[in-house]
Amino acid sequence: MYFKKNFNKSFNILLLRILIIFVFILVSFFIIIPLLPLFLKSFSDNKNNFIGLENFINYIQNPSLTQSFINSLKVAITTTFFSVLIGFIYAYALTRTRLPLKKFFNTFSLFSLYIPPLAVAIGLIYIFGKQGLITQGFFGTIPGFDINLYGFNGIIIGEIFYCFPQALIILVSALNLSDQRLYEAAESLKASPLRKFLTITLPNIKYGLMNSFFICFILSFTDFGVPKVVGGNFNVLATDIYKQVVGQQNFAMGATISIYLLVPSILAFLIDKNFQKNEASLISGKSIPFKPRKNLIVDSIMFIFCSLILILVIGVFSSIVLASLIKIWPYDISLSLQNFRFSNVAGNGYEPYFNTVFMSIYTAIFGTIFVFFTAYLVEKFKPLKKIRMLIYFFSTLPIAIPGLVLGLSYILFFNKPSFSVPFLDFQIFNPFSLLYGTMGILVLANIIHFFTVCFISATTTLKQIDKEFEEVSESLKVPFYKTFLRITIPLSLPTILEIGSYYFVNSMITVSAIIFLYPAKIPVSSVSIVNMDDAGDTASAAAMSTLIVLTSLFVRLIYEFTSRNVSKKSSVWINPLET
Amino acid sequence: MIKKEGSFKYLEIKNISKNFGQTFVLKNIHLDVFKGEFLCLLGPSGCGKTTLLRIISGLERQTNGDIVQDGLLISNSPTEKRDFGIVFQSYALFPNLNAKQNIAYGLENKKINKKEIEKRTNNLLRLVGLEKYSDQFPSQLSGGQQQRVALARAMALSPGLLLLDEPLSALDAQVRSKLRNEIKLIQKKLNLTTIMVTHDQTEALSMADRVVVMERGHIAQIGTPFELYKNPITPFVADFIGKMNLLKGKYDKKNCVFYYLNNRFLISQNTEYSFLENCLLGIRPEDIEIIKFRKNIEKEENILRVKIKEITYLGTIFRLIVVLESKLEENIFVDVISNQMISNNLKIGDFIDIKLKKEKIKLFESNL
Repeated sequence: MYFKKNFNKSFNILLLRILIIFVFILVSFFIIIPLLPLFLKSFSDNKNNFIGLENFINYIQNPSLTQSFINSLKVAITTTFFSVLIGFIYAYALTRTRLPLKKFFNTFSLFSLYIPPLAVAIGLIYIFGKQGLITQGFFGTIPGFDINLYGFNGIIIGEIFYCFPQALIILVSALNLSDQRLYEAAESLKASPLRKFLTITLPNIKYGLMNSFFICFILSFTDFGVPKVVGGNFNVLATDIYKQVVGQQNFAMGATISIYLLVPSILAFLIDKNFQKNEASLISGKSIPFKPRKNLIVDSIMFIFCSLILILVIGVFSSIVLASLIKIWPYDISLSLQNFRFSNVAGNGYEPYFNTVFMSIYTAIFGTIFVFFTAYLVEKFKPLKKIRMLIYFFSTLPIAIPGLVLGLSYILFFNKPSFSVPFLDFQIFNPFSLLYGTMGILVLANIIHFFTVCFISATTTLKQIDKEFEEVSESLKVPFYKTFLRITIPLSLPTILEIGSYYFVNSMITVSAIIFLYPAKIPVSSVSIVNMDDAGDTASAAAMSTLIVLTSLFVRLIYEFTSRNVSKKSSVWINPLET
Repeated sequence: MIKKEGSFKYLEIKNISKNFGQTFVLKNIHLDVFKGEFLCLLGPSGCGKTTLLRIISGLERQTNGDIVQDGLLISNSPTEKRDFGIVFQSYALFPNLNAKQNIAYGLENKKINKKEIEKRTNNLLRLVGLEKYSDQFPSQLSGGQQQRVALARAMALSPGLLLLDEPLSALDAQVRSKLRNEIKLIQKKLNLTTIMVTHDQTEALSMADRVVVMERGHIAQIGTPFELYKNPITPFVADFIGKMNLLKGKYDKKNCVFYYLNNRFLISQNTEYSFLENCLLGIRPEDIEIIKFRKNIEKEENILRVKIKEITYLGTIFRLIVVLESKLEENIFVDVISNQMISNNLKIGDFIDIKLKKEKIKLFESNL
């Protein structure tokens, strides 16, 4: 009847399906499957015999261990409250007031993102510790003041430093979405400032507010660096896992505590995800951004508040740098670079530092490629919808997986040369075990540890790119990969650079994900900070921290410079008036 | 069904259905498109017109049915293997490529030498009148110019079929009417079979050779613009193409009389009106005559006494909204040319008599 064209099968769609399945396998093996041996371990003893719930019962019956769980919750709740409160006021000042020197406050507020939580803790020691500047009244020049740093107080201060910028980022972007017209309408109806705040401002940022609550909760509940350094005898889950695994080689109990750490995080994550599902923007595309009016009282209060926060951030950073330059604190306060030799304790000199830099570069390169490509496949195509939804879910999960848990599960998964199939006498070779003991596993752990934030930002950018570009290409017979290279990547370049720099900076400062994983022949700097601090060589730890912060800042500067050039080049596409 | 001698069915849409889960978007669509024809799919939003266009392009897959293009069964062919060009409502121009690069995008992927690409791109730029703008990025072009780049890009591979998805709706009124003519001219010059989706009846009527009126997933009527206007077969088409008053009443088939409330209207003899007694009377506002006020109206046929509720000035005509005293909520639209309006000095609140011209009255099956 009709000529049936014999080209119903499309090579491109086949290729696309293969790629989606391939990425699905990768994210499964990197995110979900490694958690299985961890679960199994928590139900086994250290000789791998299945013992049911015994570990969990032992845990509950051990008062010092259960105390850690309560401590972790206390830390998380207190930190979350203060971080979101400070973050909100700071964000409000940046977006909704005529704060003087706004640009300055904006730039430096995120400064503490480049300081590893470990280093923050070390900085706190030099300010509030036994020999600290404030405790000793600036080397005895004024009366001292002791805040009892080691323990709950120190952890809370350190965690707030760590979590506050995270809350700030979320809340600034939430508050930036505003509609001047709503406020004008409210004003014309004679609404009081409080009423406007309660009926317009708060409802508009409720999703951002909830999100920042959960992020701060997860971060502070699971953080290892700060409690390790200033925790003293105040034990939390994260330090318990470390002690069980590194101190007592008790992997089974380490795995059990990991479950106690993992479950609240996953719960928080799921509640937040469920909550965010209902998000529908109240602000339309046609909205007019809010323009704050001058208000001398509010602006001055905000200025004082923001200055105080910045002084603290800069104070902590300066004390780290200062401590690294002082010969023997507090006895010989002459300046020297001897702490930068790293010769005494770990004895590895600069090796850990360069290992970390290379690890961060690899993480930035491979992580960015992997995360962007994953987001692209999930976001831009139609085939295999269910699998793409699973990839999406898996990709958002790592934010709820604490670094230590990820590290522990990676050891248990990647050190197995083969898997035995349950109930069958059959072994399958584990190709990923080849990564074990190499730089590769550190890079992979970092890529996954920070995957969610990068994935969400890639997805957001890709969503903004017209989905019809792919359809136009199809109609013009251009295969999708050409459009990916020629259109999608150039349009996403600012985000790609941002993801790369985020990966680099976070890999530089992270400790939790890699502390169980780093091979003896590849020492890394954040772990050597922990070791130097353990050995009492706090000055060298401060010096290493200084190097990390300066490197991160340097990379960030390169990023700012590059992205400015990129946006100058692309402004001709986006902003016609400038050309 | 052959439209005219020499033209043949270029595209045959056979029994196409589409459902998303339980909801039907398209139901058993049959449609033939002739070579060189300009066809419009017209309907309100949600009627399935865009889905039909996307199924023709392969961007969406039908649940049932077949598509034959130029004698080839393409029902399951992937988009990239189908022979068409498409212009989206958003144009979807690549923002990082200039006008020329956008147009050449599809050509560059073919194994054509650079000179040939250059030549063809320049020809296309000339065709749409944008020679001077070849180096401009989309953001530097006006809406109308962007639209033309999108059109040129869609035609670059010399497709046998051009698909336009609401191509003009993002433009302002003046540019829109200018581009209507241009697109039509290019289409006729190249004798390019074209299917355009639109919700704008003026656009459809002024551009299309034939219009397909769609309603809730099925075709309500197909015809030339004039046929649709003159002989709408459903009240939906009648009121969508132009304006039509629809009065619900009873039809006495034997005597050719329609009863509306207490009024009776004589209807022209028409064997097509075979339906039951409950039905709709349809009459266009321009087919109602105003008779200022008479004492003995009973003697005349098809007269209603009404009160003027609203008067809207629409340029050459006034549109009156009038109501019966016995049914105030039912608006009847009456168009009056300006001169008559002025000479009769009509005001809101006036009582007037209107006459429904017998030969212009249509009856429709009432589906209520």
